[in-house]
Amino acid sequence: MKIYQIAYKNLLRKKTRTLLTILGISLSSWVLVSLLGFNKGYEKSLSRDIDQLGFQVLLTAKGCPYEAATLMLKGGTGLKYMDEAVLKQVESYPEVKKVTAMIMHGVFDPNKGQSGGVSAYLGIDPKTYPNLKQYVKFKQGAWFTGATLNEAVLGYEAAELEQREIGDLILVPGTNLELKVVGILQRTGSQDDGTIFVPKQFIQEKFGLKGKITGIGIQVKQKDNITKFEDKLYKLPDVQVVSLAQVKETIMNLVATARVLVLSIAVIAILIAMLGVVNTILMSVFERFQEIGILKSMGAMPLDIFKMIWTETIILCSIGGVVGNLLALGLSIVTDTLIRQILPYTPSGRLVVIDAQLSLTTLVIIICIGIISGIYPAWKAATIRPLESMRSEGA
Amino acid sequence: MNKSLGFLLVGLALLLSQAFSAVGCDLNDPDRDVKRLFPTSTGFKTLYLSIYKELQPKIEQRLGDKFAGLYETADVPYTLYQVYQNETLLGYIHGVNQKGHYGGLQIFLSLNKEGVIEGFYYQKLTSKQATVLRGQDFAKQFIGLSLKDFYAFNILTMQGSTKISAIKNPAPEAEDDFRSTLRAVKKNLILVDEFMLKNMHLVYFK
Repeated sequence: MKIYQIAYKNLLRKKTRTLLTILGISLSSWVLVSLLGFNKGYEKSLSRDIDQLGFQVLLTAKGCPYEAATLMLKGGTGLKYMDEAVLKQVESYPEVKKVTAMIMHGVFDPNKGQSGGVSAYLGIDPKTYPNLKQYVKFKQGAWFTGATLNEAVLGYEAAELEQREIGDLILVPGTNLELKVVGILQRTGSQDDGTIFVPKQFIQEKFGLKGKITGIGIQVKQKDNITKFEDKLYKLPDVQVVSLAQVKETIMNLVATARVLVLSIAVIAILIAMLGVVNTILMSVFERFQEIGILKSMGAMPLDIFKMIWTETIILCSIGGVVGNLLALGLSIVTDTLIRQILPYTPSGRLVVIDAQLSLTTLVIIICIGIISGIYPAWKAATIRPLESMRSEGA
Repeated sequence: MNKSLGFLLVGLALLLSQAFSAVGCDLNDPDRDVKRLFPTSTGFKTLYLSIYKELQPKIEQRLGDKFAGLYETADVPYTLYQVYQNETLLGYIHGVNQKGHYGGLQIFLSLNKEGVIEGFYYQKLTSKQATVLRGQDFAKQFIGLSLKDFYAFNILTMQGSTKISAIKNPAPEAEDDFRSTLRAVKKNLILVDEFMLKNMHLVYFK
């Protein structure tokens, strides 16, 4: 009979203890997989959420307000324009993944409030802008195609304030220009909520701004190169560079700090599992003190005993590791939901991501724990003296 | 330095975008507006009220029209101002949002204790005929009317009470906004009656 068969049968002799040991290892393994999965998933989701802000770099004419709020603070004035040719130049840079041109326009509305106010319109390119804002979801309708100029997409708050729905009209103040609402965005929590999007060409043609733009949104291919790329952009004449890369870097540094805490908990889980295994196997060795002595007296070599006990440990840890992985996989949605309820902010997407690589890595870690934990009990068993063991109580 | 300023502006923009989120109908400048509508007032109390889903069908029945669209729902917060002269209640100021032809209308009424209109004005209006609609001649036509008159008027067929039918649309091109205005005034009066006047005009509802 081979050593591993004996080891396997030994485990079956004490079913309850074996089951409890496997359960302990499974739980530790589950915690380990879930923690590592959370670490991976959270970072991935957060990174994606930041990337989904659309642009990593925004290029505007020097001194030009690049969002509606500042434009309103400035009373709709202060817009500076870039030549649309800058877009071609930016497109030619190898670092650029996606790019889109925008033109903002403020119109004074004498009927807004008691003493009038500014309504801001963001002219976008319907072919390129949606590619950079893929996270945007529509409550109603969709982006305009650009086939007709007099169309608009409203941010959630803008539509709510104006009580607009698909097919409704809006009037550009101070003009007789009517725009048909073709889409209403879902709430984004960003300034898009209060924005009225119109085709870029509409603003350029209707307000005498042909060939002019106020901003270029850029998504960069290699995130690591953003800083270098920004330096390149600074060399363009009369432009200012607004970067979200630093914001992302700061957030990701904070996440990295939290990761240390998560990994510390994982290490504790490993140590607990390890001590549990050592304790269980050692107890089983002491229980079989005389039996091991008899085996030795029948000709079993110390290495055979060592292998037998070691194999038992590895079998326990392997089964525990597989069960823990299955538990983590099966309950990942529950873990995800629980984390979402506990944490004040969670990014969108799956928070606990368990893939084949993570499962395999954890399984290898757990088996390694078995190998290490089994050394001492196996050595203890291998060094038992047959005569001493048979003389001991209970013989 | 430029970058820091940039982040600050992005933050500010995000904050301002959140400030857009109020869909209820508040006075732009309550201190100034209350004094303008009730010159003898010495103070006012602001109440935030909502109708509930159970109440919505009743309000719709009294209005003679269903609440329309995504933005006219039961959970819209209504702001009602109780206006006082020292300890004496002078009346109420209440505004409602209403879908107009080119955008949301905000129509405010000032009412006496019995719910009779003392003042009417558009706080928000987007229309090619905005100047005419905002004119005093149009606003004056609402003064002295109450829910008793509006209950006798069908806002869909535009028929009923002679007092309401007598209100002249100063801008026939803006017929949609005119009809919306009458609907908003009726809704406004029904809500004040419900919120403050213990439905004292309900006896006139047929």
